[in-house]
Amino acid sequence: MTRLLAVYRNELAAYFRSPIAYFVVAVFLVGTGYFFLYNVFFSGEATMAATFQNMGVLLLFVIPLISMRLFAAEYAAGTMELLLTLPLRPWQIVLGKYLGAVTLLALIAAGTTIDLVPLYLFGRPETMTIAAGYLGFLLLGATCVAIGQLASSLTSNQIVAALMTAAVLLALWFVGHLQTFQTSPALRGLVAYLSLAAHFADFVHGLVRTEAIAFYAIVSAIALTLNASYLQWQR
Amino acid sequence: MNGQPAVIVLQSVSKRYGSTTVLHDLSFTVSDGEILGFLGPNGAGKTTSMRMMAGYTAATSGRVLVAGHDMATDSAAAAPHIGYLPERPPLYETLDVAAYLRFVATVKGVSRAALPAELDRVTAACRLEAVFRREIYKLSKGYRQRVGLAQALLGQPRVLLLDEPTAGLDPGQIHETREVIRAFGEHHAVVLSTHILAEATLICRRVAIINHGRLLAVDSPAGLQRAMEQTNVVLLEIEAPAADLRAALLAVDGVHDVAMRPMAAGHDRFIVECQVDDKDGIEAAIARAVARPFRLFRLERRQPTLENVFLRYVSDAARLGHAA
Repeated sequence: MTRLLAVYRNELAAYFRSPIAYFVVAVFLVGTGYFFLYNVFFSGEATMAATFQNMGVLLLFVIPLISMRLFAAEYAAGTMELLLTLPLRPWQIVLGKYLGAVTLLALIAAGTTIDLVPLYLFGRPETMTIAAGYLGFLLLGATCVAIGQLASSLTSNQIVAALMTAAVLLALWFVGHLQTFQTSPALRGLVAYLSLAAHFADFVHGLVRTEAIAFYAIVSAIALTLNASYLQWQR
Repeated sequence: MNGQPAVIVLQSVSKRYGSTTVLHDLSFTVSDGEILGFLGPNGAGKTTSMRMMAGYTAATSGRVLVAGHDMATDSAAAAPHIGYLPERPPLYETLDVAAYLRFVATVKGVSRAALPAELDRVTAACRLEAVFRREIYKLSKGYRQRVGLAQALLGQPRVLLLDEPTAGLDPGQIHETREVIRAFGEHHAVVLSTHILAEATLICRRVAIINHGRLLAVDSPAGLQRAMEQTNVVLLEIEAPAADLRAALLAVDGVHDVAMRPMAAGHDRFIVECQVDDKDGIEAAIARAVARPFRLFRLERRQPTLENVFLRYVSDAARLGHAA
């Protein structure tokens, strides 16, 4: 556990000692603030639903920037040779890095809560719906980080890692639209199940479903397991 | 060998990448209190061998044992016993030296209570006090190399694997680094990869010579020294009566053997190889002795380069009928 925590702390330190974390947090908060004002002033409703939807789409572009360096930077700097020869199991490396990136994501989510101040000052929003939205946002983000981390472990080029991640995330976000073209009920069901957006929509509307939580957990677990296996296989 | 049990054991180790074999049937051991110099030119297979001993890559066939653990199946158990400095120091650029060393020490299992003393120990050994709080990306190449060495020394490993640890250091730093390695090697097993002959002969108890992925010889520095001396050759192209030429050359102080080969049958023009002492001015002395009475066309000194030492070992091995 001490070793996993050391990797986790090292990862967080690496984020905040480089400009990336500040840039990503700033871009996300400015973007979310803009969408929040736009949605609230145009709809006149004290709700975060539309803003959560926008935050989900923003994540598809921000997560690749967060995850691209996780392994690609280690390969490029030669520090992967250090990590793989220290007394660390592959799963400790994978989980430590993953938790570091998810912590950054949680800080971003915490930053967006500033939008709630005017909402509570001038309206009566539903707290549980907002809580469900944030839970969904964190689950969606954590799943995207796991996918991005796997992509990052496959290349030493951060740009390639970011592009791979963005491509996979966009595909999984929009895959639900393929339902329209499917005549087979089984395929329609499968396409709907694979959609990151469909599961997130439940949370946005205040619906916390076990199926959605399980979906995000399973996808994350698969990505992280493949990540650790790939490190082991590299030896 | 020094009577101590072997801490590093390589048994018929080979490594293939696809259809390319980069290491062929490597076998040697290193014991506690022994520094083994791993000597070879660039691309000889030194780094691959070091990586296998460190557990970064696995052997395709054969066994690598470190501190009694098989690196193919149990590298995690061996890792706490290994200090490894790769060819390119593995540094986190944005961390300062203290944060970097603290991270490595924690992962190596140094307790929170013992951490300050451990950091002080390696910082003093590698002379890092002046840059302890400085970000790594701001450090010179020499300091970066020393930070890399410091992380390898953390946690009191039984085995130290150093891949060209003095690369990029100035002469003073090279001397200090060698002293650190020498002190550590008094009680631990050290494998030091280098392509600098002098480095291997200065601080190693034994030297393993590797080229094209094959182990050519494992010898003492004295043996290596002999091979080096044998590569001190002055080459002449000269026209002279054979007997007179031989006598004139052997009369020169520092020449102890002469081999003559006629350039064409029936002529007095020879290619001559003189085995000479490793001292300055020997070429001039030979030139003075032969230029006036005979017709000298060419004279050159062959230095004891790594290639020449290899050639010597290869030819010796071939002569003894067990070429690798």
